[in-house]
Amino acid sequence: MGVSDNAVQQTLAGTRSFDVADFAVPTGREEVWRFTPKAAFKPLFDDAPSDGQLAWETSLPAGVTLTEVSAEAAAAASPGAPIDRVAVLAAKHSGTAMRLHIPAEADLREPVVVNLTGVDAGRVVWGQLLIEVGHHASATIVLRHAGAAHYGSFTSVSVGDGASLDLVSLQEWDDEAVHAGHVSTRLGRDARMRSIVVSLGGIVRLVNTVDYAAPGGDAELLGAFFAGAGEHLEHRILVDHNQPHCRSNVVYKGALAGDKAHAVWIGDVIIRADAVGTDTYELNRNLLLTDGARADSVPNLEIQTGDVVGAGHASATGRFDDEQLFYLQARGIPSPVARRLVVRGFFADVVRRIGSDEIEAEIMRSIDGQLATLDDGADAEMIAAYETVFSELVESSVA
Amino acid sequence: MSTHVCRLAELRDNAPTVLRTDHGDIVVIRQGDEVFALEDVCSHAEVPLSEGDIADGSIECWLHGSRFDLRTGEPSGPPAFAPVVTYPTTIGQDPAGQPVVTIDLTAPSIP
Repeated sequence: MGVSDNAVQQTLAGTRSFDVADFAVPTGREEVWRFTPKAAFKPLFDDAPSDGQLAWETSLPAGVTLTEVSAEAAAAASPGAPIDRVAVLAAKHSGTAMRLHIPAEADLREPVVVNLTGVDAGRVVWGQLLIEVGHHASATIVLRHAGAAHYGSFTSVSVGDGASLDLVSLQEWDDEAVHAGHVSTRLGRDARMRSIVVSLGGIVRLVNTVDYAAPGGDAELLGAFFAGAGEHLEHRILVDHNQPHCRSNVVYKGALAGDKAHAVWIGDVIIRADAVGTDTYELNRNLLLTDGARADSVPNLEIQTGDVVGAGHASATGRFDDEQLFYLQARGIPSPVARRLVVRGFFADVVRRIGSDEIEAEIMRSIDGQLATLDDGADAEMIAAYETVFSELVESSVA
Repeated sequence: MSTHVCRLAELRDNAPTVLRTDHGDIVVIRQGDEVFALEDVCSHAEVPLSEGDIADGSIECWLHGSRFDLRTGEPSGPPAFAPVVTYPTTIGQDPAGQPVVTIDLTAPSIP
C-alpha cells in the first residue's frame, strides 16, 4: 500500500523529522531558504526555549474540544513530521500542544474560531497545534493571527475518512510581527479539505504540506495575499500524491504595492509512481501595483507516472493592465476607483470561497486599506461616492 | 547601538569585515585611510556582499555579478538596479591615541 520502492530519487519531498539535528541553521543557499530574509527570521532559528505566549480566544461549537496535551503525545498523534528548522523547534520548545478535536460525524453549523494575538513584539513564541477531524465530520475552522510576536509554529491536521474540512488561516499581523509556520495535513479515504490562507501583514513564511492516507482525497489549497512596502509574504506548498485517485487544486493570488514589497510562492507537487488517476493543478497569479515590488513564483512538478487524469501548473506575474484602466477611465471612472475594482475582481474568486460574509468583508476592508495608501491626494469623498454606487449595483445584480 | 566603533588596525586593507549590529549586518571595507560601510545584502537577492570580491572601488555580489560602488552603494548594472544602503564613517582617535572608525547607523543613505 502507499509508496513503493523505485529507482527515482525524491527531490521535492525534503526531510521530515522531529529531530532538531536534521535541520541545520539555514545559510540562505538552500533552495527552500534562498528567497527568505534570514535576518528577520534569525530568532526563530535559535534552539532555545521561550515562555512567550500568544493570547488565545476561541469560539467552539458544541461537541468540539480544545485540550492541552503533552508535546510527546502530539508528536505521536501527528500524521506528519516538521519539514524545516523553525517547525521542528516549535515542536520541541512549545512545551505542550493544543489539540482541537472535532468528533466523528459532527456536522457543525457554526465555524470553530481561534483568535491568536501576539502581545509582545519581538518576543519568541513557540506553538504546536494538533487538529483532528473525525471521520465523516464536516467543519469550518478559522485561525486568526494578529498583533505582533516572533511566532514559530507547527500544526498538524488529520482529516478522517469521508470528512470535510474548511480551514481558514488569516495572517493579519502588525508590521513588526514575524511568523514562520508549517501546517502538515493528511487526508483520509475520500476526505476533502479546503485550505484558505490569507496573508495581509507582517513578515510571513508559511509551508503547507498535504499527503494522503488512502485514495479519494481532495485538497483545495487557496491563498490570497497583499504585500505592502517592506513586507515579505512567503507561501510554500507541497502536495505529495502518494495515493492513487486523489485530487489537488492550488490557487494563490497576490497583490504587491510599495517599495521593497516582496512575495514568494513556491508550489511543489509530487506524483509518485503508483499514484495513478491523480488530478492536480496549481496556479499562482501576482499583480504588481507599483514599482519596487517583487514577486518570486516557482511551480514545480515531479511526476513519476503518466497514467494520470491531469497535472498542470501556471504562474503569471504582471502589472496593472493599462488597457483595463483606460477602458474604465473612458467610462468616467477615476483611476483610484478603477484600481479598487480591478484588485477586488482579482481577489474575488479566492476570497468569496471562504464562506463567511463577515470574514470576507474583513479581508476586503483590509485590502482597501492597503490600496488607500496608493491614492496620492485623491478625493476620499469621491471614492466613497463611487463605492456606494457600485455596491448598490452589485447588490441589485445578485438579488 | 546607534554607532559602531572599531579600531582601524583591526580592519585589513581591501578585505571585507562583517559587523553584526542591531540594524542588521554591515560590511566594512578599508582602503588605505578610508573606510566604507554598506548594508551586507545585495539589493537583488538574499546574498551577503561580504562574500564577494573588491575591485575598482566596488564590491561584487558573487552570485550574479552586480558590483556596488563603495561610496554610493549604486550598482554597476543588472541584475541589481537598486542601490544598497551606505553608512557614513569617521576616523578619530580613542583615548589611547589609536585610530578608531565610527560608523553612524542612524544615518543610512536610504532611510
